[in-house]
Amino acid sequence: MPKLLIVDDEQDVREFAKNFFVKRNIDVRTASDGDEALKLVEEDKPDLMLLDVRMGEMTGVEVLRELRKRQCDVKVVMVTGVEDQEVIDEAKSLGVVNYVHKPLALDELEQIVLKELG
Amino acid sequence: MQLDYKKELENASRSMILVHDPATLIKLIIRLIVRKVKADHAGVILYDPEKDAYVLTLSGGKAGLKIPSGFAKFGRGNSLIKIFTDKKFKPFFQKKNTLAVDDLNKMFWQQGVIGDKKEIKETFHDVSCQMSMFNVVACVPAYFRDNLLALLLLGQKDTGSSSYEEDELGFLSALASDVAMAIQNANLINDLKKEVDRNKALFINTVLSLASTIEAKDKYTRGHTERVTKYALSIAKELSKTKIIDLPKDFMENIYISGLLHDIGKIGVPESVLCKETKLTDEEFLQIKEHPLRGAEILKNLPEFEQCLEGVKYHHERYDGRGYPEGLKGEDIPIIAAVVAVADTYDAMTSDRTYRKALPKEVAIEEIRKNSGIQFNPIVANVFVQMLEAE
Repeated sequence: MPKLLIVDDEQDVREFAKNFFVKRNIDVRTASDGDEALKLVEEDKPDLMLLDVRMGEMTGVEVLRELRKRQCDVKVVMVTGVEDQEVIDEAKSLGVVNYVHKPLALDELEQIVLKELG
Repeated sequence: MQLDYKKELENASRSMILVHDPATLIKLIIRLIVRKVKADHAGVILYDPEKDAYVLTLSGGKAGLKIPSGFAKFGRGNSLIKIFTDKKFKPFFQKKNTLAVDDLNKMFWQQGVIGDKKEIKETFHDVSCQMSMFNVVACVPAYFRDNLLALLLLGQKDTGSSSYEEDELGFLSALASDVAMAIQNANLINDLKKEVDRNKALFINTVLSLASTIEAKDKYTRGHTERVTKYALSIAKELSKTKIIDLPKDFMENIYISGLLHDIGKIGVPESVLCKETKLTDEEFLQIKEHPLRGAEILKNLPEFEQCLEGVKYHHERYDGRGYPEGLKGEDIPIIAAVVAVADTYDAMTSDRTYRKALPKEVAIEEIRKNSGIQFNPIVANVFVQMLEAE
């Protein structure tokens, strides 16, 4: 079963997204902050990460930077706000496979995730 | 269905007309539905004109079932939206304006598998999948005219019976159209507010360009207008804090405009006099002294400028009555003019002029202190001196 890691600091979002992808036969883990995400990536080696940009302690981009520093090339789909053009540019330069804007069109998100998980 | 909550919802919907903020309104409705109808959760998908999409704006209810708000959006092509907007589906909703999951399943099985019917069947299937994804058992659309403005999503009932009774849905549907009406009102008011803001910006920009004309003409006062406005605003702010004087309505705004336009009358003074580098003759000095009246003349046809006009007209009056143009004395000088006067004099003293160098700040402050109650309104002068010394 393909493995997906969802990183978001909002509990409702984590639960909802987990439910959404579990129903599509995906093994889903969730992390509520950057530290937890970094730990889970190391332990669990997910095939894809859904990474929210806006989080309390450590932003999504900081998590991504740290991952690349550790030479971890896990596939990442960034979840951003519409206004974050700078963030998107940096994320692109750090090699994200795709990005989606909140609010998300769920069918679009599903397509992107399923495509990346092959 | 319990009458008590019906009454409460009716009351809510009546007061909705008065709520101009759709977010507050919807929060109210959701809370009532979750609490009174005993839905385990409820959410609202709201049309966002800027995105031209429907956004899950708010949800409430038990943790774990709650749909994260602001998380999902639905394009016009999404089945859940299409089923409530595409004419093709209208016949299915003729009897009631709501969609319960049981009805949906029935309708699904009644459809054939070819042509139009196939598409309808597929849409039903897709809607059913989405409803189950959101743990929703009923949807209530809210229309204004023929436009879908909002979609209310209802989770299962807490009470064990999973489905909603027909009259409950009927009632919620009536409520939904009230919501749509209120959202429409709120949107209109928002548009109106934007229009007002645009007009305000236009007004301020007009004042700014008017103000810049004086500076274009009189190069020695370049920057003067801006600084006087800045000082005058700081004094006004301090005055409103100390509450020693009752300030007129919209004082800050008027101070701002007065500051910008206090020398506008200099437009009517010949450049040869305005920019003269040698001593002015008595005749020339009289011409300069005309600028407050000329300024008032320029602004007199604009009723919106009534209060700032006083600031422009009387900013050369003195507390002891020896100023111009009218020789007003003491408290007869409007407070707005008293503020501009002290700001204007201070900046004149602390700037370089062709005929003299700028005075040091301390000397200028001392000058204002000495002239408090003579040239300047003592309360205003006192506030200004304290402010400058605290810098």
